[in-house]
Amino acid sequence: MNKLMTTALVLTVGAGLSMSATASTPTEDNNAIKKYFNVKFPKVADTEYVNGVYAVDPIGRESWEAIEDFPPYETFIDEGKAMWDTPFANGKTYKDCFPDGPVLAHKYPHWNAEKKMVMTLPLALNNCRTVNKEKPLKYKKGAINNIMSYISWESRGKVTNVVIPEGDEGALAAYKAGQKFYFQKRGQLNFSCATCHMQNAGQKLRSDVLSPALGHTTHFPVYRSKWGTVGTLHRRFSGCNKQVRAKPFKAQGEEYRNLEYFLTHMSNGLELNGPGARK
Amino acid sequence: MLKTTTLGFIVTALLLTTGQAMAAAHAASAADPAKAKAVDALIKEANVERKKAASVGGEWRDIGKMLKKAAAAKDKHDYATATKLATKAKRQGELGHGQAVSQSVFKTPSYLKY
Amino acid sequence: MKNIKTAFLATSSVMVLAGALSFTSVAMAAGAKVAESSVDEGQTLAFTRKKGNCLACHAIVGGKAAGNIGPPLIAMKARYQDDKAKLRAQIYDAEVANPETAMPPFGRLEALSGAEIDKITDFIWTL
Repeated sequence: MNKLMTTALVLTVGAGLSMSATASTPTEDNNAIKKYFNVKFPKVADTEYVNGVYAVDPIGRESWEAIEDFPPYETFIDEGKAMWDTPFANGKTYKDCFPDGPVLAHKYPHWNAEKKMVMTLPLALNNCRTVNKEKPLKYKKGAINNIMSYISWESRGKVTNVVIPEGDEGALAAYKAGQKFYFQKRGQLNFSCATCHMQNAGQKLRSDVLSPALGHTTHFPVYRSKWGTVGTLHRRFSGCNKQVRAKPFKAQGEEYRNLEYFLTHMSNGLELNGPGARK
Repeated sequence: MLKTTTLGFIVTALLLTTGQAMAAAHAASAADPAKAKAVDALIKEANVERKKAASVGGEWRDIGKMLKKAAAAKDKHDYATATKLATKAKRQGELGHGQAVSQSVFKTPSYLKY
Repeated sequence: MKNIKTAFLATSSVMVLAGALSFTSVAMAAGAKVAESSVDEGQTLAFTRKKGNCLACHAIVGGKAAGNIGPPLIAMKARYQDDKAKLRAQIYDAEVANPETAMPPFGRLEALSGAEIDKITDFIWTL
């Protein structure tokens, strides 16, 4: 019995050693990324990153704080509450799908082991609608932003905690796919997400300060002055891809859901701070 | 006598040049089945490259729009523009594919210290 | 008949002379202006968002609201050891000198044509 256990132990340790020589774990990734930003912005506390670019742009922060006195996303929260409270045609409500709602945002995205995919909140909301014979919402513009704003607002203060289930190869593969996407150069302009939001975070692109990746997902959905409205995380992914002259991927498609999985995991430990208001 | 003759020459010259211009315009809008076929083949090739790029997640933003414009130009018998656009679209498909393939293995950037 | 002939000869010879003169003056001006116009065109290309868009990342004299992702473009001859071809190569594909550069490979991925890169190089070289 002992000999068997010893052999097993040796094999496991050996496997563990050889694995860490080639690939980093998600926890190691987070630590390396946090360390990177701590060195780059030594005066910025970890908790500050929930303020996005305004953690590293003191001039922009002043006007942002003034805007936050009358937040442009307020009407969207109100509309979202109305959506949440209004029963479907069949009499059921969102609460029937989500008993813990509307404090929900911190539970997403998560790995759905049964369906072997990353489940996001917009996807889950539409699943609820479809099951109740309601028309699904579009994922970038429109009413999805109302209900997401409401849920996001109600979930403020909840802590990001994306779990990559131990031993689940599918979950780890999804995380790694999102990670690869994040660092992959794309489009005719040859940029990766990391080029701007890690390597050059805090620098200026023309007059705009580049926001750090850490904390990005804490403040979505986001009211962007440029859009004149609230938009989803996948809408922003799409816009960024177009800006570097890459063809965007489908909102709530596999690429963007895996990317969201990786990106949200990066902010583990940070409090949710949505909806956000940005330029 | 001289005045009328000079005037005559000017008028003739003007008529000739306008006539030439009109003829040229007419030539541009005339259908040319052989050229159309060549453009079709080029658009087809460009779509092959586009699909190849898409298969590795490397399709660029403007390829689809360029091919639509190429087809529209071909329909207007502007084969020069159609060829130019389709050629550019094909090239972008190739470049996008190559770019994605060159990035197929994830490498941790040097600025992240583990 | 004689009058028509004279008129024709007169008109055509005047036209030929005028044409020749204008052609020569353009040709002469062209020789002197090539370098100047290339620098000017290069600046326009450098400052145009859909072309070089250099101000996105680089401070350049004459440009406003420049980014600071890359270094300011000054003292270029000194920085490139008087090697203009080396500057052109950097614009063509900055990844050669630095595999982790943020700079788009304008030539390799054909965001700019060879002629456009030549003009931009001419302009940047003057900084």
